Amino acid sequence: MNAAEGLDFAQTEVARASLDHCVKCTICETHCPVSAVTPKFTGPKFVGPQAERFRHGESVDHSLDYCSSCGACTLACPQGVKIAELNSQARAVMKADHMPLRDQLISQTTLMGMAMTPVAPLANAALSIKPLRNVVERVLGIHRDAPMPKANTQTITGWLKKRKKPTVKATRGTLIFFHGCAGGYFEVETSKKSIEVLEHLGYEVLVPKQGCCGLAQQSNGLFDGATQKVLKLCDELRASGRDLTIISSSGSCTGMLKHEAHEIMGVDDSRLADVGTRIRDIMEFLLELYDADELPTDFKPVPLTAVYHAPCQLKSQGMGQPAMEILGLIPGVEAIESGATCCGIAGTYGLKKEKYEIAQAVGKPLFDKVKDVNPSFAMCDTETCRWQIRKGSGAEVEHPIFLVHQAYGLS
Amino acid sequence: MARVVVIGAGVAGLVAAIRLADAGARVALLNKGTGGLQLSQGTLDILGYAPERVERPLDALAGFAAANPGHPYANLDAELVGRAADYLCELVGPALLVGDPAVNLQLPTAVGAIRPTALAAPSMTAGACVDGANFVIVGLRQLKDFYPDLVAKNLARTDLPGGGRLSARHVMLDLPARAGEVDSFGLTYARALDDPAYRRRFAQAIKAVVGQGESVGLPAVLGVDDHGAWAELSELIGAPVFEIPLPPPSVPGLRLNRALTARAKASGVRLVPGSKVTGFRSSGGSVDSVQLATAGGDRTFAADAFVLATGGFEAGALSADSYHNLHESVFDLPLRRPEGHLVHGDYWGDPQPLFAVGVETDHTMLARHPGGDPVYDNLYAAGGILAGATRWQEKSGEGIAVASAVLAADSILAAASTATTQGAAS
Amino acid sequence: MKTLSADVVVVGGGSTGAGVVRDVAMRGYSAILVDRADLGQGTTGRYHGLLHSGGRYVISDPHSATECAEENAIVTRIQSDAVERTGGYFVATPVDDPAWGDDWAKGATETKVPFEEVSVADLLKAEPRINPRISRAFKVEDGSVDGWQLVWGAANSAKQYGAQILTYHRVTGITRDGDRVAQVICTDEKTGEEVRITTNFVLNCAAAWGGQIAAMADCPDVQVVPGAGIMIAMNHRITNSVINRLTYPADGDILVPVHTVCVIGTTDQKADDPDQLKIDWDEVQQMMDCGELLIPGFRKARAIHAWAGARPLVKDSRVGSGDTRHMSRGMSIIDHSDRDGLKGLLTIAGGKLTTYRLMAEKVVDAMCAQLDDPRPCRTATEQVPGSESGKNYVITHRLEEREHDRTDDQILCECELMSRGMFTRALQDQPKGSFDDLRRQLRLGMGPCQGGFCTMRATGVALETEHIDIERATGLLRLFLKNRWIGIWPILYGDQVRQTALDNWIFQGTLDVEHLPGPTHEEVV
Repeated sequence: MNAAEGLDFAQTEVARASLDHCVKCTICETHCPVSAVTPKFTGPKFVGPQAERFRHGESVDHSLDYCSSCGACTLACPQGVKIAELNSQARAVMKADHMPLRDQLISQTTLMGMAMTPVAPLANAALSIKPLRNVVERVLGIHRDAPMPKANTQTITGWLKKRKKPTVKATRGTLIFFHGCAGGYFEVETSKKSIEVLEHLGYEVLVPKQGCCGLAQQSNGLFDGATQKVLKLCDELRASGRDLTIISSSGSCTGMLKHEAHEIMGVDDSRLADVGTRIRDIMEFLLELYDADELPTDFKPVPLTAVYHAPCQLKSQGMGQPAMEILGLIPGVEAIESGATCCGIAGTYGLKKEKYEIAQAVGKPLFDKVKDVNPSFAMCDTETCRWQIRKGSGAEVEHPIFLVHQAYGLS
Repeated sequence: MARVVVIGAGVAGLVAAIRLADAGARVALLNKGTGGLQLSQGTLDILGYAPERVERPLDALAGFAAANPGHPYANLDAELVGRAADYLCELVGPALLVGDPAVNLQLPTAVGAIRPTALAAPSMTAGACVDGANFVIVGLRQLKDFYPDLVAKNLARTDLPGGGRLSARHVMLDLPARAGEVDSFGLTYARALDDPAYRRRFAQAIKAVVGQGESVGLPAVLGVDDHGAWAELSELIGAPVFEIPLPPPSVPGLRLNRALTARAKASGVRLVPGSKVTGFRSSGGSVDSVQLATAGGDRTFAADAFVLATGGFEAGALSADSYHNLHESVFDLPLRRPEGHLVHGDYWGDPQPLFAVGVETDHTMLARHPGGDPVYDNLYAAGGILAGATRWQEKSGEGIAVASAVLAADSILAAASTATTQGAAS
Repeated sequence: MKTLSADVVVVGGGSTGAGVVRDVAMRGYSAILVDRADLGQGTTGRYHGLLHSGGRYVISDPHSATECAEENAIVTRIQSDAVERTGGYFVATPVDDPAWGDDWAKGATETKVPFEEVSVADLLKAEPRINPRISRAFKVEDGSVDGWQLVWGAANSAKQYGAQILTYHRVTGITRDGDRVAQVICTDEKTGEEVRITTNFVLNCAAAWGGQIAAMADCPDVQVVPGAGIMIAMNHRITNSVINRLTYPADGDILVPVHTVCVIGTTDQKADDPDQLKIDWDEVQQMMDCGELLIPGFRKARAIHAWAGARPLVKDSRVGSGDTRHMSRGMSIIDHSDRDGLKGLLTIAGGKLTTYRLMAEKVVDAMCAQLDDPRPCRTATEQVPGSESGKNYVITHRLEEREHDRTDDQILCECELMSRGMFTRALQDQPKGSFDDLRRQLRLGMGPCQGGFCTMRATGVALETEHIDIERATGLLRLFLKNRWIGIWPILYGDQVRQTALDNWIFQGTLDVEHLPGPTHEEVV
């Protein structure tokens, strides 16, 4: 299937056929974090399998745009209705005729990162200047208080070039590392620590030239652009070796490759299928090693009690919460599950002017919990969630790999 | 240490997983969905109708099982059922479940029928329909799933099971759960009632309409995470308060579900929600592993024992295709299927044979060929998947679920300790 | 006992009767229509909803084809509210000979049925779920129609012109005065009261029951054979156009999107009694196979309801009595003045819904002729109440309406997006209506949950009105559940089994409806 067929797929509906499984049980509605905080959104049951029976190529119910695509509904549905996918597709159809400029801009995450990096301190400053943000809000619709990434002075590529080569010999084979846009430009520390942990375990880690997975575009209904990006990324990841496991520390990008590109946009390409089956979230990978008795558990104690939040787009991959189990192996660590379905940001949702208040309300119980348990530190596996939680709670928020890195004595 | 995979996170799966983990097994609980607790009342039914209304369910079990050959209660005796009910109470605590499994409560329903159940939420028990009871049933205009006049008028014209009558009147209050919403579902109210400020306003509005000596019947929305919300409401109103279960979403069911899930995590059960088990491998008469269809590919879960607690037709655990071929969706187990037609056209008549279809087990809860031997030596079945019961009619669902879960877990533990002993001996 | 009078009594409130009473009233006669049940509970409410383009008949019944093509355009205009312009296709499936399409195209041209041959690629683009092995396709102007909206539209027009519409009035006798009809005697089923209507003319539009009515007037042996067929509603619009098989009319060769469902139909079995129509499992399997031919994977799609209807077929000496499909569907008018020595009674039988207006015109012309009182017909030129804007029904209607009013009004039937306001207004119009009477106006309970969630809400809201007490409310709840089951159990498989299980958990498990205080008598209407 080529990129142009993405929107056609949305209109022709594999998710649509799954609406037949809906028995109106309301379980999805009880999990929806958005309808829990605002009456503006009618809820996943309404917007998904219920309203779909009344659609014919158009989506007249504009309130469906309040769906944040967190995926909690599809995850919770006992009958197998692809609710979040239905909603995403209906939204893409709805916006096809009038895609706001803003949605196109926010979705170009790679470009945003690349543009920001060489002049990072200035870029960061600009992002925190109120008057400038007000202008941005009026013109583009990005809320003036929306959490924005801090650009790094050094990209991951720069770090890899400049660092000393690892001294531990690789005895376990080779892995490919997918850093994602944030891991490449904004949250480079996460990528660095991930690579160092994997090398500590005895792996050789290859980091091929790589682009964006297209998730931000897909979640804004820009299916054609997203499809192009994700297939290009698959080519790039496959170029390093066909049988190698691919590791990522970007929870939601992993989800795009594992299932979202196929389920939501209908991308039906063997390259995607190949990458989708070989990719692992890093904590998922560590747990697999542990289950096979292959994970060294000689962790140094790390005395820390902190909230761990499993992002919605990680949970929707259906593998449970491997980070909780790994953290449980580190002496001294008490990881408290956030209990929150979603932090509110849901990718780019919480950046938008009209969604900002809702996103904040969605995340509030999580922010309060962080402030309650440990106001200076929390953990989460996805970058935009970390920005959101940082902003909402004031805590430093890092990927759980940071603790593993520390417990292995690497920092 | 035995490894066990439990499939299904309804009340049977959760109880089995917790029991096994507490006894030291390494348990993974795999489920697609959220179990059935959110869809049912939030009470524990043992036996409500046999088909006559039952007062003492444990006493009635043996006779009922004899009169209904092939019923799950044939393998689950009164002692086990009572013990399992008590076990569930222990797991969730008295803030969520109270009562004596030996005696049924007779509680009002949202259409004004009177329904027997063995254990209920403490927030429901003041609604016991006994002679001389005096109710004011209060509805909330913005909640379309509860009509106080329907409840009150039907209750008032019913000859009570224990004899006599109760009196009931109704009031409808305009009490939004949140500003700008005229169509709120029960959970929205329950979340609002977790907030003490909202509770106070709510109680004030109700207090103004309650008469002397009346108990207040409300829809079952009295808080979700705050288990003391209903009691505080009662204090503020100055009258006994009881909540009446609604069609889904069931807030009392949700409370139980969350409590059991938290308990499972605290016991060290590995929960992997959201994916379906789509395959398995077996050898030498045992199941070796199951395949879980996660995003991006199947993951294998190997174990020494497996518990199939996937539910009934409503859960998709059992299915009937367009040719009326019947199928158990995980292991393709042989099913007990009635002779003749699966469905008939008499709505108020006998139960539909289709819904008594399910998996048979032996007395240790090993899934077996109908009338024959276990299918595998380490695959157990519990809960709604079991053949032979029309649970919604008999009011027997949770009783069967918890008793079969306890028995399955104990059978696994016994087999594991035998193996260890044998292993140690050899 | 009550006595009424009118120039004309129309017996039967299906499309024929409703069309006739409208025409009669518009021509200035006073008229009363009676039906033993709600309007459209005979064949009109039990077919698949197709507003024929005429394409089906271009070979088998060319005269009908032309009539359909003309009347399709008229009905689409005058009853725009009830008609959706879905468009349709005639498609050659793998078991059909594509060459037959040449004959078909020739026939369509000759009968002036508008059509256009399309490429299979274009067909698949428009309808991606259709069998990709279709070999040939023609586009036509099929539409779909809500049978109840149609009859009520016509009935409301008649009311505007002074007619009375008396539903739930069962005819028990027709008396004569010499050689002329005198009175029609009815029982009001809701109250038990006898109602006598003095009249000059009776138009027997009772269709499949027409023989029974004629017999009451001492006009025996009117042979109307019920040609029974089943239809199955699938949960969602698998296609958005009508799909017809490109073949001589056969069983299960039509798939019609109507409102939120699509309907597959139909079979053809001679029945003895139009009130005793069964839905056999074998017939259901046959429809599933037919569906699978048009839509691969049809058997995995969800069926939510089934029903049987009886075509009123006039017995024709040309065909065997067992083969009802090829009896004439043309209309026949039996004038009882010669046949039975009774003036003022015409029995109408046969016909199809698409040409109902034309049928009515001919019937009323025949009546005027007998009365020697020619009056012109204007039914083709005037829109019925509710269709004045000329805007046809579109599937997105209710979604758009609810988007605008959901902050002011609750949605009681979520599957079909029926608001509380819609329900209370309908109750006001029909205070004695059962939930099924209301359902026909509103689609309450007609979605996937089949009343699972909305039945209790409807009961509660109804109880709040002044005409309904607790006994009736409880009785209506029980009756609705019982009636829904009639159309569910014959197609209970797949996803609908899950739904039924959940609905049982709600009604029996949580609400314990079986143990509601017993009624002294069950509600039946």
